[in-house]
Amino acid sequence: MSQQPERGDTGLAGLDCAPGETLLSVRDLRTYYESGDLIGGQPVKAVDGVSFDVKKGETIGVVGESGCGKTTLGRTLVRLEAATGGEVRVGSDDVTELSGEDLKAWRRNAQVVFQDPESSLNDRMTIGEIIREPLDVHDWGTPAERRARVRDLLEKVGLQEEHYYRYPHQFSGGQRQRIGIARALALEPEFVVLDEPVSALDVSVQAQILNLLMDLQDELGLTYLFIAHDLSVVRHICDRVAVMYLGNVMELGPTDELFEDPANPYTRALLSAVPEPDPTAEIDRMTLRGTPPSPRDPPEGCAFSTRCPVKIRPDGSDEVDESTWEAVEVFRETLRARSRTERSLSERARELIGLETRFATVDEVVGELFTDRDIPVSVKEPVDQAADLAREGDEDAALEHLKGELGSVCDHESPEDHAVGTEGRESRCHRHAAEYEEPSAVGPSVGGED
Amino acid sequence: MSAVDYPVDEDEQTLLERIQDEPGPALKLLAVVVPLFAVEFGAVASLVMSLPWSAVGSALPGFLQGLAGALAGVGDALANLPTLLSRSVIDNSGYQLPSGEWVGTTLGLSPAVAWLLRVLLVYAYGFAWMAVGWWVYLVYRDNYRYADWAPVDDMVNRFRNHSWGLLGLAIIFAFVVLALFAPALGPTTVEANISDPYLHTVEYFDEEAGSVQEIYVGDANRDSQSRGQGGDNVGPLSYDQFGRFHPFGTLPSGKDLFTFMAAGARVSLFIGVLSLLIAGGIAVTFALATAYYKGLVDLGVVIASDSIQSLPQLLFIMLASFVLSGTWLANLYSGGVVLALLFGFTGWPGLWRAVRGPALQVSEREWIDAAKSFGQRPSVTMRKHMLPYVVGYLLIYASLTLGGVIIGVAGLSFLGLGINAPTPEWGRAVSAGQPYVPTQSWHISLIPGIMVVIVVTGFNALGDGIRDAIDPQSDVGTGQQDESAAAGGGA
Repeated sequence: MSQQPERGDTGLAGLDCAPGETLLSVRDLRTYYESGDLIGGQPVKAVDGVSFDVKKGETIGVVGESGCGKTTLGRTLVRLEAATGGEVRVGSDDVTELSGEDLKAWRRNAQVVFQDPESSLNDRMTIGEIIREPLDVHDWGTPAERRARVRDLLEKVGLQEEHYYRYPHQFSGGQRQRIGIARALALEPEFVVLDEPVSALDVSVQAQILNLLMDLQDELGLTYLFIAHDLSVVRHICDRVAVMYLGNVMELGPTDELFEDPANPYTRALLSAVPEPDPTAEIDRMTLRGTPPSPRDPPEGCAFSTRCPVKIRPDGSDEVDESTWEAVEVFRETLRARSRTERSLSERARELIGLETRFATVDEVVGELFTDRDIPVSVKEPVDQAADLAREGDEDAALEHLKGELGSVCDHESPEDHAVGTEGRESRCHRHAAEYEEPSAVGPSVGGED
Repeated sequence: MSAVDYPVDEDEQTLLERIQDEPGPALKLLAVVVPLFAVEFGAVASLVMSLPWSAVGSALPGFLQGLAGALAGVGDALANLPTLLSRSVIDNSGYQLPSGEWVGTTLGLSPAVAWLLRVLLVYAYGFAWMAVGWWVYLVYRDNYRYADWAPVDDMVNRFRNHSWGLLGLAIIFAFVVLALFAPALGPTTVEANISDPYLHTVEYFDEEAGSVQEIYVGDANRDSQSRGQGGDNVGPLSYDQFGRFHPFGTLPSGKDLFTFMAAGARVSLFIGVLSLLIAGGIAVTFALATAYYKGLVDLGVVIASDSIQSLPQLLFIMLASFVLSGTWLANLYSGGVVLALLFGFTGWPGLWRAVRGPALQVSEREWIDAAKSFGQRPSVTMRKHMLPYVVGYLLIYASLTLGGVIIGVAGLSFLGLGINAPTPEWGRAVSAGQPYVPTQSWHISLIPGIMVVIVVTGFNALGDGIRDAIDPQSDVGTGQQDESAAAGGGA
């Protein structure tokens, strides 16, 4: 529809692949945010080794809790954030290293629809100016053609031509999101990152916007990366879904299969949190303990190991009962939280002279967790020793000790992506390895399975 | 498909075409603007001709010089056209015969009445332009703008209902008119009365001689001094013995205080505006750059601004103006330029700090990301997507700071460090009248002092009004900020 130069000229020939072929191939992508400190400080590992392919014409969903890195992933793909490592291949080009004309070509072909329609439109510009701006930046056609294109786009997203000279203030949230979509589509991109495009909207408007997005995809052959935390929306719109946790993709596969038969423990937990419309239905919810670990300091083994309900136990701990084992995990979680907490100078001083601080003492924690329990020696010894270490204020050493004594493969090794299901689904969990039981065999039942 | 597939629409027209389609309101506007401009056309022409054209003319190649000469002749002729607001239209200089009849003044009016008429005429003219400006906005908004509503409409409406801001606007407008029309407003002129009194004469009726005498202004001034207790005094709204009317009385040197004040307003306004253009320009450039790039750029500017702010501004300006006093820079505009530069280069950190917050805030908005995502250039992003949100705050703080600069300049002149004599400056009048405050010559210090207070209050009120207009939720700078900005001069 435009008089763009042939893409071959710009070097991004990979964009012209046929529908169904791989448009983007993300490999071990990492995006770290440097800490604000001038010296030292751990970077925030927002995206920590993500690999997947995006096929032309599909909608790939990215779901996960707040802070799991899904938005950063989307922003890295459109070069709003600089990748720390890994690559994003389009044909033979690496998006993370494009510059000059190639970067401009990528910017033209990769667009974003933002989450908050209140914040994504400049209030001091008319709708026409807002939608026209990408066209102006890329010198698209003549000014009169640009105006005509904007009017055409307004109609395409369900607004009227007369809205050209209105200001964003005069529109509702849903209409503003339509304007944002029109702006993203102005340059006829191949790839659009939809960053929670409906989560700020009323439910009734959400459906309209989703249908608009799907209609536009059919009409223009767009490829979507759909970031969301609302699972029902993802199920409605996406062809494939990637489930993210702490910067990692835990499970990736076709939407229906993943929702019907989730393989990864984290997916299972996430899906079991979906509310059931039938109030009489008895569901065995999998509630996760604690909060996600800090992305500054992710666990060494599996990212989900700190909260996983079906974590593999170390060898020789079969006789330990379930609740004791959970007490051990809670103890580790508590130590981890303590080691992360910044202590003020006065708190350190109080600790030093033995005054009470706002931190419960280690003995209190241990007492609460382990008294009235029949603890086998194999567990008791490491716990006591860790408590000793923690009492001296060395939580890190205590954690190391517990990990060494009571840690399993989940704590030590990062899991591989295992193929699961029938349609090229992958899940990152040690339990998929032959020597362990499948997550579905040990955990509560979830989704469509019996 | 190519872009040509789109029907090229013809409905977007330039402003000129829109006016051609519906010329009525624009013609009505023009019918008022043209005469309003025509009556002062001579003044504008003489302003243009007062620029150093001869330097340009001599640089031209020969065949063009004749043309330039002809143009200069036309220009001079235009510059000599009579204008409505010139002193000769309503002349207040003359002498009074023993019969009480005034000779030389327009229509034989008394100089006080003639002067008052001229002042009223000038202010009516000034406020007519203000009304025309408002009318232009209305005509454009209602007849020629595509958008039925724009965010600026709401701001204008909020400002219209802000009585404190409107009062500020009125005061500042009156001050600007005083500065712009200073030569026409004074009962006499700076050249005749203040800078070259021995090159000008006045006529008066000498009762002893029984005839009209001519006397140098300088000699006349010596007999119309205001020297407090036991000395001569020419107070406000009074005549001296030479039939000259002094609306604000005279200075201890016998010069006319009102003429001095009007010319001083020009100096103050010039220094204030120039220094704020410098400070505001630096501040807004840095604010946009630091908010957009953050990180090291921000840190660098923080350090630079902190180093400047750690200097005691007034002391530093004193020192620097003393150091620079021997140079050519110090002679530009009687030292006004050097003061403006110093206030500008030491004043930007405060303004930058004030607009950095809003700039950082707007830099976090998603439309900045949107602009980055389709590859907008940083400079354009800053100008289009950030500047409109920052410039309002800049206006607020600039108007608050302007009062501080005026106080600062007055303070420096009071100390004898500011504007070189004999160029009028308000602070010097305050200083000159200081010994006479408790005497009948109280007017010398008090009137300029009160004028400073009124003008500074006006700028603060205007800033308040703009703030409430652009951002009704914001509560920036209540109390403390206003005070510190107003007291920025510290004098």
